[in-house]
Amino acid sequence: MVTDPALALGVSRQARGGGAAKAGPVWAALTGPYALFLLFLLIVPLANVALFSIHRYSPTQVALPELTFDNYRKIADLYYLRLFARTLKLGLVTTVICALLGYPLAYWLARARPRPQAIGLFLLIMPLMVSAVIRIFGWIVILGRNGLVNEALAAVGLEPVRLLYSDTAVVIGLVNVFLPFMALPLMAAIERIPSTLEEAARNLGANWYQTFRRIILPLSMPGLISGSLLVYSISISAFVTPALMGNSRERMVAQQIYDEVLVSFNWPSASSLAVTLVFLTLMLMFSALYVTRRAARLEQTR
Amino acid sequence: MMMVDGIELEIEGLTRHYSPQVTVGPISFEVRTGEFFSLLGPSGCGKTTTLRCIAGFETLNAGAIRLQGERLDDKPPHRRDVGLVFQNYALFPHLSVFDNVAFGLKLRRIARAEIVERVGQILRLVDLSTLARRFPAQLSGGQQQRVAIARSLVLEPRILMFDEPLSNLDFKLRIQMRDELKSLQRRLGKTAIYVTHDQTEALALSDRIAVLSHGQIEQIGTPDEIYERPATRFVAEFIGSSNLLPATIVERGEGVVIVTTDRGLRLRCAIDGEAAGTGVEVAVLIRPERVQIKATGLAGTPEENCFPARVVTVTYLGEDLRLDLELTTGQLLQGALKNVGAARDWAPAQPVDILLDPADLRLLRL
Repeated sequence: MVTDPALALGVSRQARGGGAAKAGPVWAALTGPYALFLLFLLIVPLANVALFSIHRYSPTQVALPELTFDNYRKIADLYYLRLFARTLKLGLVTTVICALLGYPLAYWLARARPRPQAIGLFLLIMPLMVSAVIRIFGWIVILGRNGLVNEALAAVGLEPVRLLYSDTAVVIGLVNVFLPFMALPLMAAIERIPSTLEEAARNLGANWYQTFRRIILPLSMPGLISGSLLVYSISISAFVTPALMGNSRERMVAQQIYDEVLVSFNWPSASSLAVTLVFLTLMLMFSALYVTRRAARLEQTR
Repeated sequence: MMMVDGIELEIEGLTRHYSPQVTVGPISFEVRTGEFFSLLGPSGCGKTTTLRCIAGFETLNAGAIRLQGERLDDKPPHRRDVGLVFQNYALFPHLSVFDNVAFGLKLRRIARAEIVERVGQILRLVDLSTLARRFPAQLSGGQQQRVAIARSLVLEPRILMFDEPLSNLDFKLRIQMRDELKSLQRRLGKTAIYVTHDQTEALALSDRIAVLSHGQIEQIGTPDEIYERPATRFVAEFIGSSNLLPATIVERGEGVVIVTTDRGLRLRCAIDGEAAGTGVEVAVLIRPERVQIKATGLAGTPEENCFPARVVTVTYLGEDLRLDLELTTGQLLQGALKNVGAARDWAPAQPVDILLDPADLRLLRL
């Protein structure tokens, strides 16, 4: 029995002296706790959701013990197809806008001196430090019918516009929160590009656009891809922002799942939507990874 | 502005302020057509700033840069037509050797067939034809260096500039690339500006050298002039090794002055211009290899600058031997000898006579 800590230490020292034979349990000990956490709190529930999605819906109990693909077949409905199409479209628009806004920001941050860079980084991740509800309330104040935007328009004699509770508002809200997820990987990628490469391009006759297009863009592509994947996958599964800022009739997938779980209690249908969303996200990630790997390999062997 | 014949690049009063304490310039010099011109100095002397001003990566606070008589400093970097080879080569890692070299040609919208021909030609020139499909990461340092040169040369810039291009190479390769660089520049007759902190490189490569210190030019001259007749104490100390003895002028004669050092050594120095008047404080420069070391009793009189001395230490450097000598007056001198013949016999504590040829002594203003 080893209760004395000194003795326990002695034992572990001996074990370390044992060499490579003991190397196996080390990684297990390092990754084990989180692996268990994921297993019981993510994999098992997800498997459960997947199981629900192939069971028949029953109004009286959670699901009938009867296997069916009806829940998936139903997604072919125009209603659900539109739901998915709108979700993917909003995700795409959000990602593109994040990339367009994120590139100049990321470039500036990557090339800034340490002090401005620290301040810029702080401002960039500010939205993440504010609770979603407070942040969205702020947007409601700005975009609402009598909000700042419309008051400004009225002041110059223009008609008020309907911004809040529209796709535009959802995209504004999503870009606001998710911009850091685009800008940070981009910044890391651009930081790794020596600035002498830009100077070399300029010296060889490239103007700033050509320098961006031929040097910065291709060399920061890994950052752009990981940023885009991040922003796209969290955008298409967004719930709070579309629920509070979007049109209640034109929803995104996560809102539909929420309603089917908590309002209509159709867990099998909600599960099939959830599984489809996860599947779409994974497909997207793998195809993006495949394309980049292939591009990198082509580059090396060309 | 009229084009001055034979002057490729003209720098006039170039000034760049970094802070009230740190200023480069005003610097003025001219580079002649086909000349290999070096900017030499320790780090922070302003040589790289000058180069970056010519390339357009730094803006001037004052002064002008003219290329063949035409103002260069108001043009953006990509319209300057001056090639620059970077210290770390700055090759584009995502492009093959061919595409790196073709980069500038593609920007100029040159036809594909002509690009292939011109890139092929320049790669043959730098002996890289077989590596055109490789990527920079697959090349050795020397090969990367040649790609960087080819990438600039293919655009036929009016001048080619180098920013410490050899400093990342190991010793043997550095010597080899130095010789290749020189022969390439001679063959092409291309005007070149070369920035380095390595005096050996500058002496070996250059037609003329500008020595810089603290943002100012100390001297411009041929390697021989810079070494043999340094204009300032800084140049004398920076180029080669030197014995610098503080002294006062005591007598002036025809083509000769006599000085006494602070250690009481009376030296005759040959001069070829106007010397300063008596009583002026100067520094006497003697290069270690010009200190002649003889066995005692063989040499001449104090009039011929012959003094008894003693060997203090002998430092073995392989090719050379460095001797620290102490004169009977207490004056210390450093001598350098080739590691041949009788020189191999000098040992510490040995008494010797040293001979300083008046023609080998230089007087420098303090």
